[in-house]
Amino acid sequence: MTFTHRIRTIYVKELIDILRDRRTLIAMIVVPIVLYPLLMLGSVQAVSYQKEAMEQEALVIGVAGDRHRIMLSQLIQFDVVDLTREKARLDPNSDEAKVLVTPLGDAKIQVFDSQEDLQQAIREREVPVGIVFDGETLVDSIERQVKVDVYADYKEPRGTMAGRRIKELLLRTNERLQDSRLQERGLPKSFLEAYPVGTVDLVAPSSILGQVLPLILILMTITGAIYPAIDLTAGERERGTLESLMVCPVPVIDLIVGKFLVVTTVAIMGAALNLGSVTATVYFGGFDRLIASTGGHVPIAKILFILIALIPFAVLMSAIMIAVCSYARTFKEAQNYVTPVILAVLIPGGIAALPATRLEGIMLVMPVGNMVLLAKELLLGAAVGPWDVVMVLLSTTLYAGAAVAVAANVFGRESVVFSDAGSLRGAFTRRMMKPSARPSVSMTLLVTALLFPTWFFVQSALSPGVGETAVGLLYGTAWLMPLLFVVLPVAILTYWKVDIVNTFSLRLPQVWHLVAAILIGLSAWVPAHEINLLQRSLLGTPEMVVQSAERLVEVIKLLPPATTLLILALLPAVCEELLFRGFLLGGLRASRGMWPAIVASAAIFGVFHFLVFRFAVTAGLGVILAYLCWQSRSILPAMVTHALHNTLGVLSVTKPEWQRWVGLHDDPDSTTEWAHLPMPLILVGCFVLILGLYLASRPAEPVRRLPASLSSQQ
Amino acid sequence: MPSYATIPTVDMVIAENLVKTFPNPDGDEKRAVDGLSFRVAEGQIYGLLGPNGAGKTTTLRMLSGLMAPTSGTASLAGYDVASQPQDVKRVLGFLTANTGLYQRLSARELLIYFSRLHDMDRDAAHARAEQLIAWLGIDDFSHLRCGALSTGQKQRVNIARALVADPPILVMDEPTLGLDVLSNRVILDFIKRERHAGKTIILSTHYLDEAETMCDKIGLLHDGRLVAEGDLDSLRAETGERRLSNIFLKIIHADQGIGAAGA
Repeated sequence: MTFTHRIRTIYVKELIDILRDRRTLIAMIVVPIVLYPLLMLGSVQAVSYQKEAMEQEALVIGVAGDRHRIMLSQLIQFDVVDLTREKARLDPNSDEAKVLVTPLGDAKIQVFDSQEDLQQAIREREVPVGIVFDGETLVDSIERQVKVDVYADYKEPRGTMAGRRIKELLLRTNERLQDSRLQERGLPKSFLEAYPVGTVDLVAPSSILGQVLPLILILMTITGAIYPAIDLTAGERERGTLESLMVCPVPVIDLIVGKFLVVTTVAIMGAALNLGSVTATVYFGGFDRLIASTGGHVPIAKILFILIALIPFAVLMSAIMIAVCSYARTFKEAQNYVTPVILAVLIPGGIAALPATRLEGIMLVMPVGNMVLLAKELLLGAAVGPWDVVMVLLSTTLYAGAAVAVAANVFGRESVVFSDAGSLRGAFTRRMMKPSARPSVSMTLLVTALLFPTWFFVQSALSPGVGETAVGLLYGTAWLMPLLFVVLPVAILTYWKVDIVNTFSLRLPQVWHLVAAILIGLSAWVPAHEINLLQRSLLGTPEMVVQSAERLVEVIKLLPPATTLLILALLPAVCEELLFRGFLLGGLRASRGMWPAIVASAAIFGVFHFLVFRFAVTAGLGVILAYLCWQSRSILPAMVTHALHNTLGVLSVTKPEWQRWVGLHDDPDSTTEWAHLPMPLILVGCFVLILGLYLASRPAEPVRRLPASLSSQQ
Repeated sequence: MPSYATIPTVDMVIAENLVKTFPNPDGDEKRAVDGLSFRVAEGQIYGLLGPNGAGKTTTLRMLSGLMAPTSGTASLAGYDVASQPQDVKRVLGFLTANTGLYQRLSARELLIYFSRLHDMDRDAAHARAEQLIAWLGIDDFSHLRCGALSTGQKQRVNIARALVADPPILVMDEPTLGLDVLSNRVILDFIKRERHAGKTIILSTHYLDEAETMCDKIGLLHDGRLVAEGDLDSLRAETGERRLSNIFLKIIHADQGIGAAGA
């Protein structure tokens, strides 16, 4: 049976198994279908009931002193008279009559001895609102204005409501007084307003739905993933089925991938049912007016879109949950592991959900956060660039892949299958580790996945502000690249007793592989240039790419040539090769053969260059470098190629005359550096490249292996 | 039926100097299996006996590739346990007393699933499942979910599960633990039948009368070491006892005496 057949068998079985579980069904179907209508009906009714009750409640207004009581009741009296007159004038069935505010005729006035007593009473919520007049009589005089202050606890709903009602009363009487004064002097109403100020709310009708729904759905997706993830991993162990599964001739990765797909399916099904239930409740329950502010209907297309945006999130969460739960031996243990993970996930998710957070910079690669942001931005109708979407999806794929690899490494581990085989601490205690020739796939992917946002963060922290040069970026990179790309992996490998020489392929290559490396390094820029041109004509150039290229050119011209060559050519050649062709490819060697390992390492190499625009060329180069390293069993040829390639790139900037020699820039004033290369050069370049690749394809002679006993002692 | 006189015997299971140590919480190590070597010839039933904690289960787990030996090697049908685990799993049917079944699958579904996991196509998996259902008398309850089965019924399904791929080697850890007479008989008959079909079987059991009637060769395990090995007659000759339970006690006591003297 092939890989896909096995995965399908496992997937179908696990899906049947989990769907037959009453607990899954309750969590997935009954909860959303029963809970949402109830919650929504209940909370909406409770809120509106409370609101009504407060509005109908007789208002109690506090004043300080008897004099103020008389003034207030005068004001209320005026208002009642006015409103009654107004009401009589209007047709009782007209809309205007309906919105006419209930006058405060039935308001009670409570008198306090002093202003201090009144304030105290409001603070202690004895009365919701108080009025303080700055004077002893209400006179209609232009010379002497009586100021009126409305005291209330505006944080409290009762206070807000009472304050609003009093203010409305005061505004009404104020307006009437204004009107009569203007009329007396024969002035128009516009006399008082220099310019009328208006606020136009452009929030989309469904915005409340848009703000709240992603959060609910994200929580529901996480919850949907938790139960099946625990059941399919720790549950196997707890029910004693894991042993019989592990004696089947099936690779663990197949089991984990099958299980992971089931968890993803259940999480998405759960999210879809939740979404459907919310939509139906809103739609049939007549709540659309409460959720969509202007009474619009529920946007079905948008809801479908949310569901699609939720799939990558469900994939990542399921992968993380499977990885975490694989460590657990019992349900209870798994639940203990899951809780901190949920908290850890909610932090980036919460940051992303903040209204001010935008999908840019570090947020593009923030695990979980970038998915939430993407969904939010799309839902709120913000413009999202296609490269940003690609970046989010690529980084999420990397994180999910690393999580699945970790799960496959842990699941079925002796210490997890058998409780008497020692605790899991053994996996982290150096004393108990056995030396190994190369790192596990999960270790490599996990380290790379953690390195990725770190490196992105470093780059964006160092990236120059407006008006600055990229010198800081260059020097910062020069310091941090060796640290993160070389020292960190070496430290990890040393701790886990992994053979460093073997992992990094630190061997001398055969001569022909060095020749191949030189040929490839001298010629690879030719197809790279043409691919860039093609991509440019098809897709255009993002402004960001142009800017960063310009900055780089500026710096190269600024610094001494030896420094730029060191930082831009030699350093990346050594550090990047050690990380991507050494550590990463070395770890992936153990998995599924040559080409999957090469392609995966090249794709990650491409992603690490952040500029998705250059992904095709970088990943292509990654494939060639990985192939070179694989065939020669040495890191050196890849370093040589990489260094030559980068050197040519730097020289093309520092020595512009070279560009003329190869037929670009016939006109020295021309800024169109993106001309095609002359055909003969393309042909020669491709020929040299193919020659180099042909030479590289001759595999290295068998390595003079150290005796097993010696190498295991390292 | 092959004649053992004409065909040279092949050792299907070879254990060489197996050692398994477990780390203790207090830092030192516990040697669960301590330099164990034995061989099982093709078509034989080898009885691995010993008191609780002697290292039987750990040994069987190392043979099946579920646990990596701390040192030493083992091979099944010529495949090395450490370096060819997938091949070992293909030639091995493994059964333990406390193995669980997928509670929410029916017995038939479970057998088909495991057949598929052993690289069988859909038709072959169905055919094999039906065959085993008939042989082990699972028919009456094959449509029930495994969660609803009795202990005896579960154990029959479990044995069927271990046999889906018709492996040449069977490792059975206490296959009759806690079973009633009826299920016990069905299972023992089935093991005998598999032996006659040429299977190599390692049987670990606490029921000594069972071992007496079933096993061609017996290995006595104590404190992770093999303290006696041979067929019933040679063990009887060695100890001067008739019944296996007495032989067992005598050897264990003698070993404990040595251990105590050494300590």
